[in-house]
Amino acid sequence: MIIVKLKPFEEILSMLEGHQRILIVGCDGCSGIYEVGGLRQAEILKEQLELARELKKSEKISVKTVTVPRQCDNDIVAKKLRREVAEQEAILSLGCGVGVQTIAEVYEDKPVFPGLNTMFIGMENKSQGKLFERCQACDDCILAETGGICLIARCAKGLLNGPCGGQVNGKCEVGGYTRDCAWVLIWKRLKQRGRLDLFTKFRHFRVNRQHPPRELELPISVTKSQGGKS
Amino acid sequence: MGGNMPRVGVFVCHCGVNIGGVIDVPEVVNYAKTLPDVVYADRNLYTCASDGIDSIKEAIKKHNLDRVVVASCTPRTHEPLFRATCEEAGLNKYLFEMASIRELCSWVHAGDPERATEKAKDIVRMAVAKARLLEPQEELEIDVEPSSLIIGGGVAGITAATCLANQGFRVYLIEKELELGGMLRKLHKIFPTQQDASELLKEAIGNLKAHKNITTLTSTVVKDVEGYIGNYRVTVQRKDGKNGELKVGTIIVATGAENFEPMEMYGYRKYENVITQLELEQLFRSGELGRPDRIVMIQCVGAREKEGMAYCSRICCMTAIKNALNIKELYQDTDVYILYRDLQTYGKEYGEYQWKAKEKNIKFIKYVPERPPEVIPQTNGKLTVKIYNVSINEEIKIKDCDLTVLSTPLIQHQAGKELSPILKVPLGSDLFFFEAHYKLRPIDFATDGIYVCGTAHGSKTISESITQACAAASRAAIPMAKKHVRSEAITAQVNEEACIGCGLCEYVCPYGAAELVRKPEGKWVSKINEIMCKGCGDCAVICPAVAIEMRHFKEEQILAQIGTSFLFPAEGEFEPKILVFACNWCSYAGADLAGVSRIQYPPNVRLIRVMCSGRVDPLFVFKAFRSGIDGVLITGCHPGECHYVSGNLWAEARYEVVKSWMEKIGMKPERLRLAWISASEGAKFASVIKDMVADMKKLGPSSLTRSLTEGGIR
Repeated sequence: MIIVKLKPFEEILSMLEGHQRILIVGCDGCSGIYEVGGLRQAEILKEQLELARELKKSEKISVKTVTVPRQCDNDIVAKKLRREVAEQEAILSLGCGVGVQTIAEVYEDKPVFPGLNTMFIGMENKSQGKLFERCQACDDCILAETGGICLIARCAKGLLNGPCGGQVNGKCEVGGYTRDCAWVLIWKRLKQRGRLDLFTKFRHFRVNRQHPPRELELPISVTKSQGGKS
Repeated sequence: MGGNMPRVGVFVCHCGVNIGGVIDVPEVVNYAKTLPDVVYADRNLYTCASDGIDSIKEAIKKHNLDRVVVASCTPRTHEPLFRATCEEAGLNKYLFEMASIRELCSWVHAGDPERATEKAKDIVRMAVAKARLLEPQEELEIDVEPSSLIIGGGVAGITAATCLANQGFRVYLIEKELELGGMLRKLHKIFPTQQDASELLKEAIGNLKAHKNITTLTSTVVKDVEGYIGNYRVTVQRKDGKNGELKVGTIIVATGAENFEPMEMYGYRKYENVITQLELEQLFRSGELGRPDRIVMIQCVGAREKEGMAYCSRICCMTAIKNALNIKELYQDTDVYILYRDLQTYGKEYGEYQWKAKEKNIKFIKYVPERPPEVIPQTNGKLTVKIYNVSINEEIKIKDCDLTVLSTPLIQHQAGKELSPILKVPLGSDLFFFEAHYKLRPIDFATDGIYVCGTAHGSKTISESITQACAAASRAAIPMAKKHVRSEAITAQVNEEACIGCGLCEYVCPYGAAELVRKPEGKWVSKINEIMCKGCGDCAVICPAVAIEMRHFKEEQILAQIGTSFLFPAEGEFEPKILVFACNWCSYAGADLAGVSRIQYPPNVRLIRVMCSGRVDPLFVFKAFRSGIDGVLITGCHPGECHYVSGNLWAEARYEVVKSWMEKIGMKPERLRLAWISASEGAKFASVIKDMVADMKKLGPSSLTRSLTEGGIR
């Protein structure tokens, strides 16, 4: 899941200065799922914006809210938002950075503002009440060799062959010994599985990753070219 | 039901002089007649008397009413009666709404008839606004399997099993150990009769085994529980790993407790002659006690602490006296000291027991927790116990003790902690199983069909455990004897179209009633089990897609109440408008108690009843401020006492967030307040209101203009 957080309210308020008719677009994908960018958050933000403008005695604001299943799909954004966007003069997106850009690309003439900061690809742990970074989209997954623990995302130094000498009692020197050393976790997991042979395997510097912006063909267009098999 | 527009009838009660002596009832009736969709309004001297009831029934028929509002006393006492009246007249009982103008108005504003009348009109208007939007609901009827699972084969479990079997129900008794008996198996004699524990146990097990209705499964634990009252499917696992499934209608938790082992305290496990009372009993049983010359017992070891185990374990004082008497019986000359903080030998026969001990020359010395006794080893292997004697204000030494016996509390065991999430029933702050209501439902869990007895629920004597086991058996027998139960229709309802399948509802539901399920077409959506749902509304408020509604407490209904809560624009001196959200179980009852106790408070408040403080949506708060309200007060049960386990904690977490939002918006966060008010805190309710009204007066009127008027009511 793409992990996002709401921007400070002051920042949202100042971004929207000079705009009166705002459409808040929520997203039922990642940001909606953990209460940051769903319809409820959009409605709460609407209340906040309208109240703040009234209290600050600045220009009146009229806010509408709507959500889409995914803001990262330009087809959905084009089809499901057209009417609402036409009625408003600016858009506040509660999607990730991709959502903001998708809306901006589809509705070129409308100013689109990000309501969120996009943080990372991560895992939700409700019982701890936290979200943890787990993947950096490196395009060369080696989790099979590391006991399902990603060294790219979770080792502060991204070491392919670890650990370094900077761990004490399983905690990493980066960040003042507060975070787990990914390589100690990997060692424990592999030991548990009886696969410490993988731990000593040497991994070469990886060259697969392309420079951004990366592109990928949709799987469906691939199957089409193979004669419609799925 | 006629036409598309609702037809509301309003009945205003004088309640003799209780309401009519303060509020101008005819004026309220005339006002009610002007409200939208009100086609009939009248008053009664006593609406709850038979002529009042008849007048409702007649009016329903004559005026074709399809919504009824009674403005009288509290719904907590009279709603069932008026609902039944509606049903008798052919109207669905969920189309009834009550306006409490006695407890919430005439009784608490007796000195200000003018403003009380004004408030009564507002209360009636709010009730009508909600009534117009009420929907008929169907209650589900569930068949109840006439069998019960009893978890734990100690004295409580054995008793409950026998009681239920005697009433003809099928009983499964499961015990994690190889043998039945629990704590009783470890005891020597029992107080105050000095009867052999083994005798009592033998008799109890004999009764149990003779019963053909009881299946006993030892070395067995509960692995999983699914279902709901009447239809529980329980997976049990034997020690050998074999699984089995039981279908039962009810479950009784009788898992007992264990004795606290006071590691590192008073030299326990450091010196071999420092032992616990339970270990002393084992020495009695095995005959390995030897002949001690001097024994010191220390009470409250690990109990009644400032933090952690704060409770009194209740039985340790009697246990110490019992064991002291046992020693005296064996060896008359042995010196026995009991060092205590407060001697708790309450109740029938136990006071005498203490005197008997004093007659036998057992010495009682009081110590204070600030200066606890000290156990010091001697070179000869014996112990010296140093104690500051409060009565003579002097430190004394008891030398040459052969044995120091520590009286330690009963505590929850690991198996109990593991069972709690499996059954989805809560543990209290003391980690014992936590009942639905301390006074009103002391045997039940909040989840229907599951009951608790014995020391699983807290430290108890054997006779108390047996009494509670009989009570639990009786409670469990009610739905099984009736063969079916009805479940209230105040439940959550999912709009599958809007549901995004995030699973937050499943995460927050304390009853396991919400679950993500895969639709045939592949989409994951939330599904609410209406029998398990208790209607707290936690899921509705957390749902990021606003896809869950609470029946009978729908968002539009509550917004209608908010929008109509204050009508009259403030004239003259500023009188703050304060909206209170009160949970049905604690705070609303607290407000009622303020009324019953005639505790006066300013008439600046209007109250909206919700099932749980966790139902209070941040949107409600903002909408309230936008409808011109100066202050919002959210009230709920004290932490640890929530009727819905944890709804109040969600309310508190949300309250903090909303306050921080208000600050950022430029609103004064003091305009929102949260207070825990229990059913017994009528005085607190009144004082919280007084304080809030005074504070809002200081803050001055909200600068927001009124922008929310619900349902066109002006």
